[in-house]
Amino acid sequence: MAPLVPSQEELQRRRIIGINAETVTNIPSTDFPGHWPGESHGWALDQFKQNFNVEYHRNDRYEASFSLIGLDAAVANAFRRILMNEIPTLAIETVYVHDNTSVIQDEVLAQRLGLIPLTGSVEGINWMRWEQKIPGDDAPEVELTDFNTVVGQLSIECTQNFDAAKDETDARKLYHNAHVYAKHLSFGPVGRQSEFFVDDGAIRPVHPDILIAKLRPGQRIEMELHCVKGIGADHAKFSPVATASYRLLPDINILSPIIGEDAKKFAKCFPKGVIGLEPVTSQEAAKAGSGYQGHAGELKAVVKDAFNDTVSRECLRHEEFNGKVKLGRVRDHFIFNVESTGQFESDTLFLESVKVLKLKCARWKRGLSDLMA
Amino acid sequence: MSREAYQVPSMGTQNAFSTDAGYGSAMAVDKSSVAYLCGECSARVTLKSGDQIRCKDCGHRVLYKERTKRMVQFEAR
Repeated sequence: MAPLVPSQEELQRRRIIGINAETVTNIPSTDFPGHWPGESHGWALDQFKQNFNVEYHRNDRYEASFSLIGLDAAVANAFRRILMNEIPTLAIETVYVHDNTSVIQDEVLAQRLGLIPLTGSVEGINWMRWEQKIPGDDAPEVELTDFNTVVGQLSIECTQNFDAAKDETDARKLYHNAHVYAKHLSFGPVGRQSEFFVDDGAIRPVHPDILIAKLRPGQRIEMELHCVKGIGADHAKFSPVATASYRLLPDINILSPIIGEDAKKFAKCFPKGVIGLEPVTSQEAAKAGSGYQGHAGELKAVVKDAFNDTVSRECLRHEEFNGKVKLGRVRDHFIFNVESTGQFESDTLFLESVKVLKLKCARWKRGLSDLMA
Repeated sequence: MSREAYQVPSMGTQNAFSTDAGYGSAMAVDKSSVAYLCGECSARVTLKSGDQIRCKDCGHRVLYKERTKRMVQFEAR
């Protein structure tokens, strides 16, 4: 018996997650074998290729927004989690304090330094190696080499500025180096790093004006910083993204006409540009049972751009729209937003997450074949 | 069940609080003089034994020891 093929309307109905005033319905996906009697939902590569689609909405250097259409939530979520946790990046890991007479304590200062996002030659950062950190005190000591450690320096002393005006109250003018900023960190290449981390490719903080500490005359900070590659799962400072999130495409379905003053009120329930107002045409008004009879020329509400909706459900609070509108979200349309911290470009970050997932799959496959052997 | 008897730290033995290692730079001036920092104006004040405990610049009477120059390692996390 050939498998049943559901109609397009039925498939569309299954794609929409219902969002009601107080409940969310039709949440789990059902496109797997054995759920719908008689239908085949086996996963096929050809079919996936045919249905899968990527759309870019914006692609700035450090912020990208794009849609992945036609894949399962599990895969989309895997990409999101890999983006945050499993792409290795460079960050300050060990701080050797030679002198710190500032009011900020050594350990607090070290923690602050660790969180500063660094950038530099992408080629060089990719050339550096990342090794899984072994937890515990008895872990073997890692040998420091040019392919796993970048050495930096923070050496600064605050002194009185004798050129300052007598009645000056601003500490930054009254003293030299009253504020220690990220730009005061310096990183020098070691060994083969001098092939990558020179000139424009030098390791440096992404934002030069991050305030690290405040000093007063006579106080100084002198420390050596060792940066290593790590992953976000180990510590958030290694996460290459500031945010990596997705939302589902909102879906607004106007079931019966909303006309006149109601239409204006309806449009106000949504963010600007989501609902448009259009005049009722004479054809629509002439059609019996359409709900538009006798309203020719009046304004009706139409869905212009559901993409920008925030799904606030405001329209469901008003009596007059009761039963006239159905809100939902499209189950397999993921609108990603990836904001890089500055070490890598945001679109390459996503490709990197695909690479990591591929590697994981390969490892899983190898494990399976080992089981069979 | 024998407990070690308390030993009075002698100046001769090398211990963690050894003056030559910890306060190297402060002691370097002279064996008998030590540098302090003024609690008011944070100026360097060098005192010999028997000196009045007082800042030479501002006259403040609270002086602090300098921080050790020994390196301390921290994890940035």
